[in-house]
Amino acid sequence: MNRRTVLAAAAVFSATAALSGLAVAAEPVKVGAIECLTGPAAKYGTMIKAGFDLAAEEINAKGGILKGRTIELIYEDSAAQKEQAINAAKKLIGRDHVVALLGPTLSNEMFAAGPVANERGLPIIGTSNTAKGITDIGEFVFRTSLPESDVLPVTLKKAQAKFGIKKVALLYSNDDAFTKSGFDVFKETLEKLGIEIATIETFSVKDTDFSPQLTKIKSLNVDALVVSALAEAGGGLVLQARQLGIPKTVPIIGGNGFNSPKIAEIAGDSADGVIIGSPWFIAKEGAQNKNFVESFRKKYNMDPDQFAAQAYDTMYILAAAFDRAGEADSKKLRDALTKTDNNGLLGPFKFGADRSPATAEGVVVTTIKGGKFTLLQ
Amino acid sequence: MMATLDDLLWSYQSLIYGLGTNAILGLSMYAVLQLGQLSLGQAAFMGIGAYTGALLTLRLGLPFPLVLAAAAMVPALAALVIGGPTMKLSGVHLAIATIGLGEVLRVAYINTDAMGGALGLSGIPEKSTFAIIFGLLAVILAGFILASRSKIGRACEAIREDEAAARVMGIDVSAYKMTALVISAALAGLAGALNAHFSSFIGPNEFAFEAAVSILSFAILGGVTTPFGPVLGAFVLTALPELLRPFHDFRLVFNGLIIVLVVIFLPRGILGFRIRRTGG
Repeated sequence: MNRRTVLAAAAVFSATAALSGLAVAAEPVKVGAIECLTGPAAKYGTMIKAGFDLAAEEINAKGGILKGRTIELIYEDSAAQKEQAINAAKKLIGRDHVVALLGPTLSNEMFAAGPVANERGLPIIGTSNTAKGITDIGEFVFRTSLPESDVLPVTLKKAQAKFGIKKVALLYSNDDAFTKSGFDVFKETLEKLGIEIATIETFSVKDTDFSPQLTKIKSLNVDALVVSALAEAGGGLVLQARQLGIPKTVPIIGGNGFNSPKIAEIAGDSADGVIIGSPWFIAKEGAQNKNFVESFRKKYNMDPDQFAAQAYDTMYILAAAFDRAGEADSKKLRDALTKTDNNGLLGPFKFGADRSPATAEGVVVTTIKGGKFTLLQ
Repeated sequence: MMATLDDLLWSYQSLIYGLGTNAILGLSMYAVLQLGQLSLGQAAFMGIGAYTGALLTLRLGLPFPLVLAAAAMVPALAALVIGGPTMKLSGVHLAIATIGLGEVLRVAYINTDAMGGALGLSGIPEKSTFAIIFGLLAVILAGFILASRSKIGRACEAIREDEAAARVMGIDVSAYKMTALVISAALAGLAGALNAHFSSFIGPNEFAFEAAVSILSFAILGGVTTPFGPVLGAFVLTALPELLRPFHDFRLVFNGLIIVLVVIFLPRGILGFRIRRTGG
């Protein structure tokens, strides 16, 4: 072997090494995200996207996952329609060859798109699905959103301890999957806590007048109003309750739908004293949350909400699972996800045996004061 | 190569199924529109079919052909019952009454726990296949073409253009209207059951006013002078949002724009011609 051959061999070898090194480093890991970016649920979908993007940007800037590969997020819009959610899932899996899926935004969409991912053995992680039975779809379906059944009991217990509540009126929108699930949990928990339900009143998601229900409730002299409604109807209900003369000493306890700045926007001063349990709120203590809120405001020029926070945490959970799996393989990723142990914005987080959040430790009970959420002391 | 082709087919499978079921819905709209009846009950009938089919599969595990037959029969029966009082109505009055039917059913689904209530029915097994959906579509389409080329087609046209004159000519207008409504309901129910058995989930809010309007737009966009019109209209309106995915945030803008342009420049629908009839 003369010097030239050695040099040539060395050159070829180093070139190959450099190329293969480059190829591995340059090839991003594709993750699909199905969110409502248009249509009636776009306000949730865009917040979730903002949370994912922020977290992925941070992770990629810090060196990415799997020793230097970046995360590439591919979004598809589902427009709140189950058919589009299925088409989006199939497109992402079959055409873009993603390794894992995030979303969809709505529980109804998850019921349609979840089986698609599960059938192909791809992990799919819902960050905003709270309906009962989501993870029963299959062993590849995860969710990081706390179902109502975990959040509401914490809220009620805390409110009972603080205000000595014995008798309540229970109100809910009966034409929405989310608020109906919330009602079921409220009812069960109230019965378990030995709180008397003086009356159960229903209304529609689209209703704007609640005076018949509230007038009846006023005459019952209850200690609190327990409401499962979305923010729009909830805000109106709170406002009218105070206008009709239900005193502020009677607290109004809301479900997760109340966890929105909309309540204070609609109800104004009347929103003071509304009690809400949530996995996250903007003034949550800790450096991690402060950083998140600051970076979010800087990047998007607006305040993050619970959905953005859940999405942000989920991206970190996914990145950690990739590193544990050791390669971009869907099956290994699924197994790695089950061993998640994250401490993020939502507090300590692990998946239970049912691939839903294991504990409700991170839940905080908040109350509105002067239009802002503060911790209920 | 086979794997790539398989992947391609798998990726667009539910879209292709959606084309087929929506085409059947378009034809269901055509059945009443060709008599000049503006009935907006198609979504409601689709819902009855979807719930009937899903419940029979989930609770009783009946074989799929039987499920489909029931999913067509039950809404047809419902149409017979409500057809009596509503057939006396016409124009917008009929439209309002049939919208009401959809609302009544929506609230009924929400409040019936045995039908899943507000949470809907999930975990419906995938039983619709390409052959079943497009086989049925072909048979239905052939039926409509044969009917429109015959005496029936001419009678329908006479009723649409001038009901009183048609009656004087000896056409049993009420019988035609009732038959059209029953056929329309059966087709919508069939499409509903087919949809439920490839999308794994149905919910109470899927069969309300918005759905009724999109079914109507299948027929209007395609044109109602031939049965091919609603089929083409359904194909276009179903495929368009998926084909426009590369436009991301602007895809609904383009979607709307295309529809507006078609309506302005092709007011009789994309297929505005007539089928030639046999005989004299």
